[in-house]
Amino acid sequence: MRRPTEEGGTVTNLKRALKLVKFGSPTHPIFVHYTIALTSASLVFDALGFFLEKSSLNAAGLWTLVGSCVMTLATVSTGLTSATRAPVEEGEARSFLRAHMALGLVFYGLLVAMTLWRMSLWQDGHGVSWPYLTALAAVSFVMTAQGYLGGELVYRYGVEVEQSYRELPGRPATSPAPSLVAPQGSSALAHPEQRGEAS
Amino acid sequence: MNGTPFIGLYPFQWTGLLTATMTLVLLGDAFAGHYRSGFVSRAQYAPFVAGGLLIVAALMASVAPGAAWASTALRAAGWLAVATGVVGFAFHHYYGIARKPGGYKWLLHQLMYGAPQLAPLALALAGAFGLATARGLAGGTQFVGMEMRTALLSLVAVGIAGAVLQSAVLHYRGAFNNAAMYAPLTAPALAVVALVWAALAPGRLALASVLILLWATLLVGFVGMGMHLRGFGRQMGGLYVALFNWLEGPPAFAPALFAGFAAVGLSVVYLL
Repeated sequence: MRRPTEEGGTVTNLKRALKLVKFGSPTHPIFVHYTIALTSASLVFDALGFFLEKSSLNAAGLWTLVGSCVMTLATVSTGLTSATRAPVEEGEARSFLRAHMALGLVFYGLLVAMTLWRMSLWQDGHGVSWPYLTALAAVSFVMTAQGYLGGELVYRYGVEVEQSYRELPGRPATSPAPSLVAPQGSSALAHPEQRGEAS
Repeated sequence: MNGTPFIGLYPFQWTGLLTATMTLVLLGDAFAGHYRSGFVSRAQYAPFVAGGLLIVAALMASVAPGAAWASTALRAAGWLAVATGVVGFAFHHYYGIARKPGGYKWLLHQLMYGAPQLAPLALALAGAFGLATARGLAGGTQFVGMEMRTALLSLVAVGIAGAVLQSAVLHYRGAFNNAAMYAPLTAPALAVVALVWAALAPGRLALASVLILLWATLLVGFVGMGMHLRGFGRQMGGLYVALFNWLEGPPAFAPALFAGFAAVGLSVVYLL
């Protein structure tokens, strides 16, 4: 059995490949990695620059944080787009989603404040300090909690993943929908075999 | 140009950019409210015309701070926004209280469920920031008879006070069902007190209080946006029914005004 999205056949030419290009996939998971990587990198660069007294590392810490602040705008906006496309019913998963949405903007506010702080240090020709590094570590902790919530939404509850992936050729599509996202038998998302409709 | 630059931009360029951003934010909520009521009056389109012009003019003045035409455009757009905001306030008062069944006898009910009384004044305030920006970019040091720094901080205090009052009424309507709904009554309200204190008796302690509380108000704005987003998630269907819940849920962008006013205040304190 093939998934409904599977048109079948090996892709052998560019024309067919282009026909298969879709922008329906969630882009939030892509941008999330920029936020996490750039913020963490900024903390590491600034901490190393502080302890090793290397100005080049501090410069890297500044620009990675600025990069994170810019990229996180895309992360937040694609996250909102994802939330509007996720038919998550009331329950545990939606509680995770709500907490993820609320914490996301709290984190962004903290990131903006940290970026302004970092840029003022740079403009005044000062290096980073213990209070700055401690604050950035605290913001990174908030980011970690936020990442955990997002990870659970995808890997535990299958938000924007379940029923979206393509089955490997020749393998029956038997994976059930997670009950917390689409309870068995109560939703059109449930697999036909679960509803007794499979041939 | 007056003041100290921050990453290449002078204080009034920052004020211009922040004015444009705040206007965009408040137009977002105004659109939700007016769309919900079905744009029954043509006057309901007015804030988008005045606000749109203010956004463009403020951006142009910030990008081309030395251009006389940009300053003139910002001055015109600022006055238009002030006039539109004041007229809007009168409309909200008349149609949101006076003309409603029960009228003033049901004042608290009208304040909670009628048109938000103070919302149009946010546009007027954005217009005032635009006028101050135009004056500052032209090298002026006085605004409405006050020193520019004092005038801008007074406008920030008025803006935060209005936002606190409006959110207090609406959060009261929501029965303060979440502890975070008290947030606008904490740091932002104290920031207003500190700003008045700093204006009347400037000193190191007053200035330090202003800085701490404005930073806290900036963060309250982001926390508020996150919590309002969570509020959509608590509505039936959450963001999956985005348009309906955007119209019926908490105002999506309103908390950002706290952050916007605080950002203007911080730019004035640090740079002007």
